[in-house]
Amino acid sequence: MSGPEEFQLFASPITCHAFNADRTQVAVSPNSHEVYIYARRGDGWTHTHTLSEHDKLVTSIDWAPKTNRIATASQDRNAYVWVHDAPSDTWKPTLVLLRFNRAATTIRWSPHENKFAVGSGARQIAICYFEEENDWWVSKHLKKPLRSTVLSLAWHPDNILLVAGAADMKARVFSAWVKGLDVKASDPVWGERLPFGTVCGEFGHDAGGWVHDVAFAPQSRAIAWVSHDSSVNIATGPQDPVVTIRTNTLPFVSLLWASETALVVAGHDCTPYLVAKQGGTWQLAGKLDVGQRKSVTASNAMSKFRQMDSRAQQINSDTELETVHQNTITSVRAYSGSGPDPAANVTHFSTSGVDGKLAIWDLLSTSVSRMTV
Amino acid sequence: MSNTLRPYLNAVRGTLTAAMCLENFSSQVVERHNKPEVEARFSKEVLLTPVVVSRNENEQVLIEPSVNSLRISIKIKQADEIERVLAHKFTRFLMMRAESFVVLRRKPVAGYDLSFLITNFHTEQMYKHKLVDFIIQFMEEVDKEISEMKLSLNARARIVAESYLTQFFA
Amino acid sequence: MILLETSNKILEETLRERFNSGPEHLLIKLADFDGVTYQIATPESKTQLVISMAMGCYDECQRYGADAILQREYGSLLVSTPEPGFAVTLKIDLEQLPATPEAKEQLVQQVAHLKRNALAAPFESAFVAQCEGRTTDLMAVHYRDAEAIYCQAQADRVTVIFSTVFKEETDRIFGKVFLQEFVDARRQPAIQNAPQVLYSAREPPLEIRGQPGLVDDENVGYVTFVLFPRHYATPQARNEAIGRLQLFRDYLHYHIKASKAYMHSRMRARVDQSLKVLNRAKPEQPGANKEKKTASGKTFRRM
Repeated sequence: MSGPEEFQLFASPITCHAFNADRTQVAVSPNSHEVYIYARRGDGWTHTHTLSEHDKLVTSIDWAPKTNRIATASQDRNAYVWVHDAPSDTWKPTLVLLRFNRAATTIRWSPHENKFAVGSGARQIAICYFEEENDWWVSKHLKKPLRSTVLSLAWHPDNILLVAGAADMKARVFSAWVKGLDVKASDPVWGERLPFGTVCGEFGHDAGGWVHDVAFAPQSRAIAWVSHDSSVNIATGPQDPVVTIRTNTLPFVSLLWASETALVVAGHDCTPYLVAKQGGTWQLAGKLDVGQRKSVTASNAMSKFRQMDSRAQQINSDTELETVHQNTITSVRAYSGSGPDPAANVTHFSTSGVDGKLAIWDLLSTSVSRMTV
Repeated sequence: MSNTLRPYLNAVRGTLTAAMCLENFSSQVVERHNKPEVEARFSKEVLLTPVVVSRNENEQVLIEPSVNSLRISIKIKQADEIERVLAHKFTRFLMMRAESFVVLRRKPVAGYDLSFLITNFHTEQMYKHKLVDFIIQFMEEVDKEISEMKLSLNARARIVAESYLTQFFA
Repeated sequence: MILLETSNKILEETLRERFNSGPEHLLIKLADFDGVTYQIATPESKTQLVISMAMGCYDECQRYGADAILQREYGSLLVSTPEPGFAVTLKIDLEQLPATPEAKEQLVQQVAHLKRNALAAPFESAFVAQCEGRTTDLMAVHYRDAEAIYCQAQADRVTVIFSTVFKEETDRIFGKVFLQEFVDARRQPAIQNAPQVLYSAREPPLEIRGQPGLVDDENVGYVTFVLFPRHYATPQARNEAIGRLQLFRDYLHYHIKASKAYMHSRMRARVDQSLKVLNRAKPEQPGANKEKKTASGKTFRRM
C-alpha cells in the first residue's frame, strides 16, 4: 500500500486543524495562542498567515467551506470569526460575544454556515449567529442539562440539530433552532417540535468515559460518539438501544463518519482505526496504519557519542513508534470524498496529532478498508 | 529479575499506559487557568478511580489518573532498618532534584515514598511509551540500588572491623 | 586508607619542616580528634618553638597519671607552667636539636604523639596494674562532651568501655551495622585472638551502671572491649593497643561518614543515569541542527 502523505509542520503538538474548501490551505494551531495558515506548494506547505488575536491556547478551529470564514476558539474564553480580505491578503478578526466565563473548548460551523456552536468549560454551549443591525456575532446559550466541560460538538446536515459530548460522560442531542434564522423544523427521529434548547436525546452513563468526540451520520439520523472507556457508540434515535463497540485499544478522541457503514476513529493509540458495519453488526475492523519499522538514520560517530552522553545508549532503537503518528492523534477530519454526497463517501481523511504531524490518508488503500467499505 | 517482579511491573506498565491518555483541559473552576486536576481536585467528574497495584504489602504503586494529569506513587520495599534509612535518603536525594526530573513530585503522597506527577504538557513534549519505560526502569533500579547500597555498607563494615581487630596482635 | 594514624599529621609535618630549615616566625593553631587543639608558636625568639595542647579531659588524665607519662616521654622539654588556656606546653630550642636525622625524626614522632601520650594514662595504668595482678577502680575519661571512655583492670582482664553518641538516625543505623561486624568478626579463625567486643545500644553495660553523666537516649551506644594479658603483656603490644583503643571512636565515626559520602556519590551517579533514561523519552528536536553562533560571531552547524 502507499503510505499516507505526512507533513511534520512543527515540533510542538498540533492542537487542531481545518482545511479550506478546495484543500489548498490549512489552518493549524501549534499548541499556542496563535493560528498558522499554510498554503499547499507542491509537495509541502508554506506558512502564509499568522492569526494572533487570542492570548491563550487555541482549542479549536473550523473553516467554513462555502463562505471561507475561519472560526477559532480559545482557552482565553473568546472566539473569533476571521474573514479574508482579498485586496490586502489579510485575515480580519471579529470578536464573538460568547459571554463565557471559562475556556471555549470546541467550535463548529453549522452546515448552512449562518451560525456556529461553541462549547465551553463553563458547562454551556453558545449558538452564535450574526446580527445585522448590531454588526456582530451574538450568542444564545444552551445550559441544561450539561454538568461538565463540553468536549465536542457536531451538527446534523439539516442545520438544526446539534450533538454535544461532555466530560460528564454524556452525549446529548440539542435543538439549535434560532428564531428568524431557521424555518420551523421538525425531525422524524429526534422530535416533532424543536424549539431552541430542546434536549432531544441523552446517552451514556456514569460508568462510561468522557465523551471526546461526537458526529452525526451523513445521511441517516444516527449519532456516534467515542468515549474515554475506549468504546465507540452509535445511537439511531432517542429511544433506540445504543450500539456499543468496546475495544481493547487506548481511548479514541476523534471520529469521522466515512460512510453510513464506516467510521474512522483515532486517539491515544496513535493509529486511526476503522469501525465498520459488517453483516449487520458494528465492529472494530482494524488498524488503518499498518506501521513499518523506521529505518534508523545512519548514525555517525558524533551522534553516537551524543546519544551515549544524553541517553546512555548508542542508538535510540525503540524510541520511535512504528506508526505514522508518534503521539496521540487529536483530530480526524474528512479530506475528500466521491459521488454526489462526498460526506457520505469519504475517500481521504486527514489527521493531526500531538507529535506535530499532519497526515492525509487514502482510506481505500488499506487492505482493511478494501475488505469492508 | 525475579519471577514475581515481572508480572508486577507488567501490571504497572499496563495501568500506566492506559492512565497516560491525557489532554489539555482548562480548569472549570479557575478562570483562564490550567491546573493538574489530580492535584487540584476541583471537579469530581474529571478524576478517574485510583488504582493500587500491589506486589505485597510493602511494595505498592498507586496510580491516580485524571483528564489532564496523573499521579504515580511508589512504596519502596524496606525490609529492615537499614533499607528504611537508605530508601529515605535516596528518595530525599531524588526529590531535591525534582527540578531536573521534571515529572518527579517534590513531596510524596501520604503513605508512599516517592510520587511522580505527569501532566498533559509532559506527554506533549515526550514520547508516552518512553515515559512509561522510564517509570518502570526507575522502579526496578530503586530496589536494586538500595540492596546494592546495603551490601556495600555491610562489606565495608566487615573490612573495617577486621582491619581494626587485626592490629591487636600485630 | 582504612586505618587512622595515631600521631597528628599536621603537627608532624610542621615540626619536620621547622627542624630541617631556617628559623622563622610562627603561629599555627590546629585541631586534632576529640576537640583537642594545638598551638605552635615562637613567642620569644625564632628559635624557641613552643607547642601547647588544650584538652578538655586533661584534668581527668592527670588523675590517672598523665603527668608522669609526659615527664617520661618529654622530660626537659616539658614547661612546668603551661601557657594560659592550654593543658600542656612543650618548649623546643631549635639550636639544641639532636644531630642525626634519625634522632630528629624520633623527636618529631614523639611530639606528634602528644595527644596520644596524654590520653594514654588511664589505659597504661590499667594495663600495668593488671600485669602486676592488681585491680583498679573504674577510670572515666570524658574526652568529648557527651562521650566517655571507661577503663578498669579486673582480676584477669582489662575492660575498656566507650560510650558514643550518634548525632542522627542514619549514623545510628550505620553505626549499628559496623558495630555488629566488630562483634561478629571474632568468629573468624584468623582473628579469634583479638579482644572480645560487646555492643549494647542505650542500655549501659553492668560495669559502668550508676556512673554519673550517663544519658538515657536511643542515640547512645556502648562498646565494650575485653582485653586479656596477651594484648598488653609486651610493651610493644601495649603501645599498639593504647593507640588503637584511643582512636576507636574516631575510627568508627570516620567510616560511618565515609560510607555516607560513598552513598552520596552513588546516588549522584544513579540520578545521572536515571536522567539519561528520562532523556530517551524526549524526541530529538528537528530544530536542533540550526546554525549556531560562536563567540567570535562565526556561524557553524552542529551535525
